[in-house]
Amino acid sequence: MAPSKVPQKRILGEATNARRNIPATPASAKKRKLEPLSSPAVRFKSSQNGPKGKPGSSQPSHFESEVLEKMTQDMAGLKKNNSEKDQEWARPSLADFNPQVDKLCFQQIEAEEGTLHGRAAVKLFGVTETGHSAMLHVTDFLHYLYIQAPVSFGPHDCDGFKTYLESQVAQHQPAIHSVRIVLRENLYHFSGNQQNPYIKITVTDPKFISKVRGTIEEGRANWKGMWQADLKGRVETFDSIQYVLRVMIDCKIFGMSWVEVPPKQYKMIDPHLRHSNCQIEAEVSYRDLIAHKPEGEWAKMAPLRILSFDIECAGRKGVFPEPNQDPVIQIANIVTRYGEKKPFVRNVFCLDTTSTIVNTQVFEFEREENMLMKWRDFMEEVDPDIIIGYNICNFDFPYLLDRAKHLKQKQFDIWTRLPNVRSVAKETNLNSKQMGNRDTKATNTNGRLQLDLLQLVQRDHQLRSYTLNSVCAQFLGEQKEDVHHTMITELFNGTPESRRRLAVYCLKDAYLPQRLMDKLSCLENYTEMARVTGVPFNYLLARGQQVKFVSQLFRKALEQKLVIPNLRTDPSDEQYEGATVIEPTRGYYDVPIATLDFASLYPSIIQAHNLCYTTLLKKQTVNTLNLVKDEDYIVTPNGDMFCTVKQRKGLLSQILDELLTARKQAKRELAKETDPFKKAVLNGRQLALKVSANSVYGLTGATVGKLPCLPIASSTTSYGRQMIEKTKEEVQAKYTIANGYSHDAQVIYGDTDSVMVKFGVKDLAEVMKLGEEAAAYVSSKFIKPIKLEFEKVYFPYLLINKKRYAGLYWTNPDKYDKMDTKGIETVRRDNCRLVQNVIETVLRMILMDRDVQGAQDYVKDTISDLLQNKIDMSKLVITKALAKADYTAKQAHVELAERMRKRDAGSAPTLGDRVAYVIIKGSAGAKNFERSEDPIFVLENNIPIDTKYYLDNQLSKPLGRIFEPILGETKANSLLAGDHTRSISVAAPSIGGLMKFAKKTFTCMGCKKPLVGKDETGGAVCSNCAPRIGELYTKTLNKVSDLEVRFSRLWTQCQRCQGSMHCEVICSSKDCPIFYMRMKAKKDVEDAGKELVRFDRDAAAW
Amino acid sequence: MKSEWNHRSSQSMLEARLEQADLLKKVVDAIKDLVQDCNFDCNDSGIALQAMDNSHVALVSMMLKAESFSPYRCDRNVALGVNLTSLTKVLRAASSEDILTIKAEDAPDVLNLVFESSESDRLSEYDLKLMDIDQEHLGIPDTEYAATISMPSADFRKICQDLMLLSESVSIEASKDGVKFTCAGDIGNGAVTLRSHTNVDKPDLNVDIELTEPVSLTFSLKYLVNFCKAAGLSKSVKLCLSNEVPLLVEYALAGNSYLRFYLAPKIGDDE
Repeated sequence: MAPSKVPQKRILGEATNARRNIPATPASAKKRKLEPLSSPAVRFKSSQNGPKGKPGSSQPSHFESEVLEKMTQDMAGLKKNNSEKDQEWARPSLADFNPQVDKLCFQQIEAEEGTLHGRAAVKLFGVTETGHSAMLHVTDFLHYLYIQAPVSFGPHDCDGFKTYLESQVAQHQPAIHSVRIVLRENLYHFSGNQQNPYIKITVTDPKFISKVRGTIEEGRANWKGMWQADLKGRVETFDSIQYVLRVMIDCKIFGMSWVEVPPKQYKMIDPHLRHSNCQIEAEVSYRDLIAHKPEGEWAKMAPLRILSFDIECAGRKGVFPEPNQDPVIQIANIVTRYGEKKPFVRNVFCLDTTSTIVNTQVFEFEREENMLMKWRDFMEEVDPDIIIGYNICNFDFPYLLDRAKHLKQKQFDIWTRLPNVRSVAKETNLNSKQMGNRDTKATNTNGRLQLDLLQLVQRDHQLRSYTLNSVCAQFLGEQKEDVHHTMITELFNGTPESRRRLAVYCLKDAYLPQRLMDKLSCLENYTEMARVTGVPFNYLLARGQQVKFVSQLFRKALEQKLVIPNLRTDPSDEQYEGATVIEPTRGYYDVPIATLDFASLYPSIIQAHNLCYTTLLKKQTVNTLNLVKDEDYIVTPNGDMFCTVKQRKGLLSQILDELLTARKQAKRELAKETDPFKKAVLNGRQLALKVSANSVYGLTGATVGKLPCLPIASSTTSYGRQMIEKTKEEVQAKYTIANGYSHDAQVIYGDTDSVMVKFGVKDLAEVMKLGEEAAAYVSSKFIKPIKLEFEKVYFPYLLINKKRYAGLYWTNPDKYDKMDTKGIETVRRDNCRLVQNVIETVLRMILMDRDVQGAQDYVKDTISDLLQNKIDMSKLVITKALAKADYTAKQAHVELAERMRKRDAGSAPTLGDRVAYVIIKGSAGAKNFERSEDPIFVLENNIPIDTKYYLDNQLSKPLGRIFEPILGETKANSLLAGDHTRSISVAAPSIGGLMKFAKKTFTCMGCKKPLVGKDETGGAVCSNCAPRIGELYTKTLNKVSDLEVRFSRLWTQCQRCQGSMHCEVICSSKDCPIFYMRMKAKKDVEDAGKELVRFDRDAAAW
Repeated sequence: MKSEWNHRSSQSMLEARLEQADLLKKVVDAIKDLVQDCNFDCNDSGIALQAMDNSHVALVSMMLKAESFSPYRCDRNVALGVNLTSLTKVLRAASSEDILTIKAEDAPDVLNLVFESSESDRLSEYDLKLMDIDQEHLGIPDTEYAATISMPSADFRKICQDLMLLSESVSIEASKDGVKFTCAGDIGNGAVTLRSHTNVDKPDLNVDIELTEPVSLTFSLKYLVNFCKAAGLSKSVKLCLSNEVPLLVEYALAGNSYLRFYLAPKIGDDE
């Protein structure tokens, strides 16, 4: 247990002082006679005696009064409408379920390889429509692979080959089930729609498949030397895919789809032979399983139980909680049934006495061991299908497991639906192009899905910060208090009331992930992605992009009797030419610029030109089949040959057709649907379809992938380039003065799938009409379904460079929609907020208000404020993710993280965290990485910020880029140097080598002369300025009161945010600008107060 | 031009004339790498400058007493905020032998500098835009030092520059045997020992050590080498040390003026 009295931590220090609401400025101290400073621990003790001034005040916070209490009011409705009884953990009883009469129909949520009666089977976990948990063993499916049959191989050879293969594989038991000749086609290359004989080898158990494949591929099963091995003696095999996916594909089961077994076709498992703790456990042969396509009626969702939880640990000062030392003190749980708005279980497991919380069960425990075990029992009883939380994968799960291990609670780690499989946290390292490199931990909860909202948000959204607080601020528009982990111990060691406050905080942390998930429709989107691509739900999170595409391709290939070669690709660096960019004609355009876009460019190219694995032609095939150019086949601008639809419709093109048709369908249904839950599902569906369609091109170009096909990828981009160029030519050829138009149209810029056209016409409506017309005209020149669309007009438009532009975005001539910027510092995260603010304001002034002069003045004022330290520090904070540890070049945030680790290992950022820093002044020649510093440390020690750095390295380039096209180079440069840069302020820090020794000499408040004379020391003014003392005193006093008001405002703001006006603020969120402002304001008030006191010493002058 | 200049001079509130521009040139040269922007505080007793370097390890304290100028007049206290890099550019236009006059008005925007060639009738005048620098005044309280070493400034410069090649820091040990500068680096170690020494013919070469108790301190050589740029201002330099107190390096100038540097000792192995 952490000691109750410990030296003050810096953040705590703030909170303690802050408890006074107004920091003790000497001036106010005189008036208010506040009690002397006491350590927080002491205050907690005193609050135990008196009823007043409890730190965890019993005043309900917003969260309690608005959210929790409302649930009480809704109770009556809840009881009626909810199918779950409030606060009742167990699932509805199975009652009259009869396997002889009732069909078994459930939504499967997870598929896993397993065994039943010693034979391979796939376990499908799921939930029935009535909310019962179910597990179904799908048996009898045998895994297989294909090899090409040599010319001399006949049906009579099958037995001989089987025996030979068996002996080569050399297992102790029969490995080969059967060898048959079947007719199939190779996915790669067009071969005249001719099916060829392939040998299908079926194994007795999936565990032998890789052994058999390996034996064949390495050429050790080359029976009678029939196969023509390649140079390395290898023989190609086909259809390499793991067992679970093979079963799902062959049985047409999609991820998160519904499966059904008619009555009597399935066999219930004897209770004592059961593998799982699901309510229903049965087995069925794969032949009797009916898989429903997730469409229409079967697009519904089962009433899944979602557990959202959060734990709190009592850490020690300055150390991040460690499971073998620091106890888990609270676990808050919220359980919701999918489709219902209110959670039906809300509880907190607490250590030590805790006051009651409205409409929430509070379970008090004296011993941590009991609490943990009781929580596990709760988990088993409530039997969640999905477990969600924030950072549960990397923190909560492993921490609970390690803690229980430390407390020797051996039965704690049974969280899965398979009581024989314990949950273990494993270290994994995910390295994908999309996500970067991340060290993560994975805990298995077989049969239960996990959604870590942190990982989801990191994956799908680019944010400045990923703390729960800032993510909620971003998506829910509300903040929560961010309690520093050292503060938690403080609250825990207090009273039942303070523990109650902590419990409410914990409960809120458990409640927010649920809200986030609803808001972002994560469950729906991922479910639909699983359904569209056909992979199990958890593959979407744990695996990369490829498996989704592979699953789709295998499904389609199965229908068409195609076999997919198991390619062995060496990661090559072979690059192909990407998209084209039309050289921008830079400048500031004060006329409307029309933008023409190709709709889904790459998918439509693949469709239009029938690009596919199956239509790719070899030179030799062209000759043998006597194909005619441009009739039977085409040659792409890249020089590759593909056959036309006349010969064969490509598989990719079919997949894309289906995806895009399905998307149109989903969008149509979406427009009609009114039920918000169904709407979310449909929207998720159309998104998933869009993403899948767009990813097809990418995977053909992935050389490290399973199915690379560079001819497709490079032909696609070559068509894209050609089309952009052609669009430019067509537009510029048609819209000319010679053709009767008022101006010559000019394409000023084009990138990948869009071109920007200056028609020269000033009238917006006119330009829009021309745009529509041009889009239709150019579309007519291309093959269907390629379509050029007129989307928007930019007016005015500032074209800075390639991929860098800004403009007002108009879709109708009356009102602009928004301001649109690309590649300009507003969106980049490695800049400070100041840059973002300035650029945004400047662009708004230039584009919306058309006030270039005003924008210049604004820039000058801001620069002047910056140099005088008047800019709020929160705007200067830069954040960067701490990625892998071994950077060769030294980087500011990496170095700072290292320095912070030395200072305080507990609060230092770790791999994957975003590091916040500011650049401080350093000795001449010091590198940037030596000058990065923790913003809080800077605030506390008043370290001077290198304002020059912010001007030269952060502001100057983006400002120059914006103003140069408008003002010209010289005038743009004068923005950065000029009279407004001549007023600066230099702060004196409280740390640094010499500061221990230096003594501050006060300067005269009137003329800044150092006050060194005997009668002047410590006073406010020098003798020269003595007559002005009255004026100066009023000025200082006003300053103090202004600052006090400012601080109070910020304080109130924070109280509002935490939802209670009667509790002190304990938030220390490093992502919140208000936090830095509040810290700064507090310091300013203190400093100003000290200045005021100096007048007292000048009393003689009165 | 001339008339305007005269007109302004009549109003000027600060007027200080240096017989040799060299003094100011050297002073500014010596400190411009430590301090970029700072206030010249002018009052009737002279012109003072006090500023810390950006990393707050060293402090520069300059005092040019009224006696160093001829004549010197300052009617009101005034703080002149100067960017030293800019000042260097202006001073580069002055020859060492030029007579330098600096002038400023009440509440000035610019600092006026006039260089008169002592040999010819050339008169150059420059206006340097001033800055408004809001700066805290920091000083090091006067201390009784345990050891005071006077030595030729060129010797000190050579020692620092030589040791700099081996290591980043030097430890200075003063005992009754003398004063020892030692350093240890990757390529080897070095030590220079000085003893009290009186040269009757050339008093400039005297080494004088006054000691009340032994002292041993470590300092960053980077800063010491920087201080040594002031060696041209004075033939001799005074080092004052006490345990756990900043080192004082003082270059005495004519007319009781001085240029002082303070440097915080290195403690432990922190960088």
